[in-house]
Amino acid sequence: MTEFTLEELDQDGAIQEAMDGVGGDSRAGFLKKTAVVGGGLVGGGALLGLLAEPAMAATKRDVAIANFALTLEYLEAEFYTEAVRMGALSGKTLNFARVVGAHERAHVAALRKMLGRAAVAKPRFNFRGTTEDEAAFQRTAITLEDTGVAAYKGQAPRIDTIAVLNAAIAIHTVEARHASWIRHIAGVSPAPAAFDQPKSMSQILAAVQGTRFLAAAPRVTTRKAPAFAG
Amino acid sequence: MSDHLTVDVVDTDVAFREALDESSQETRAGFLQKALVAGGVIAAGGVVLGGLPKLVTAAPSPSQDIQILNFALLLEYLEAEFYAEALRNGALSGETRSFAQVTGAHEQAHVAFLRKALGSRARSKPTFDFKDTTRDQAKFQATAVLLEDTGVAAYNGQAQNLTKKTLAAAATIVSVEGRHAAWIRDIIAQNPAPNAFDPLKTRAQIEAAVGQTGFIKAS
Repeated sequence: MTEFTLEELDQDGAIQEAMDGVGGDSRAGFLKKTAVVGGGLVGGGALLGLLAEPAMAATKRDVAIANFALTLEYLEAEFYTEAVRMGALSGKTLNFARVVGAHERAHVAALRKMLGRAAVAKPRFNFRGTTEDEAAFQRTAITLEDTGVAAYKGQAPRIDTIAVLNAAIAIHTVEARHASWIRHIAGVSPAPAAFDQPKSMSQILAAVQGTRFLAAAPRVTTRKAPAFAG
Repeated sequence: MSDHLTVDVVDTDVAFREALDESSQETRAGFLQKALVAGGVIAAGGVVLGGLPKLVTAAPSPSQDIQILNFALLLEYLEAEFYAEALRNGALSGETRSFAQVTGAHEQAHVAFLRKALGSRARSKPTFDFKDTTRDQAKFQATAVLLEDTGVAAYNGQAQNLTKKTLAAAATIVSVEGRHAAWIRDIIAQNPAPNAFDPLKTRAQIEAAVGQTGFIKAS
């Protein structure tokens, strides 16, 4: 299962190492920003600038959580928008992608409005063919939606402001409906357990990294000046 | 625990059964129980049990958690009994029947979880009258949609009134109710996710909705 792959990636710490060993490309920039927002690894100057004028009267942690959620919603929205545009989906799966894509775009809009100038920018994505094949799309949608449910569930008890909490709460169960819906279409148990378990921000970030959907700009691994070949 | 047994029985998807962390859920119920007791609710317990349902407007507190969890327990009793009776009546077939089996087991697990968390302060199960909704597949389906959507809105509406520990526990239940709602909706070709944002309903709104069903005979 895809979920187990993500779990394994998280457990062996490979993603955390990857996050710690970031270079100078756009992916690393995104990672660094997300890591700062998520765990307060560094009180980066860029982040403090972003936090200077949040549109809402929320705590810094709420802003960080809302930006974490916004990043996941960017990912989901882009995934569905691209999949519909690619034209590889049909029937119930296409209808699902249209309806759910509209929801995710609405979530992005709501979070961006709530965050105002504190909202993080949309990263670049590369869905690696999963938007061009119906079976791959279904598997990926299950992973993304189950991950979204676990992410909101993990953050809800950490939210200080009632307005932010209620927004997260109203989205959380919609992600669960999406997960159930695509599972049903794909013939997998829509409600696989009596209790859905939360995941921490670092667990979710590891899962997202495991998808390799965050697009990396071309880069070289050496920091030395290029040698002249002749 | 019965909830673990029922989950094991109904969940044929081995991978996801393995993913279910039973021990952490067990720990959470026990932990929650300790938190509620530690909050000094023993003194308030008699009032909660004996009093009429109150509208929740105060800041989160362990004693308020008790009231809200008992409200949730009432809804879970209702759902669990609804599915159990429908299955006993033998009126369901096909995918609707497997939905009732899986979901019924989940609701029983939720009842057990809340009863354990509430301990001696757990309310007793009322008596129900589901009329013909547990004897007719189409009526069962329509009622299941109503009950599951209501469950989602009820938990969602109370999130802001719960202490953080109790919210964390309730959150493990509410998304499962959302999954149930989407599942039965898809079975009967209703939009599984009709809104981009699920509504948050107050306790008064939920009690009015449940009251309209006439399912609760005596509590």
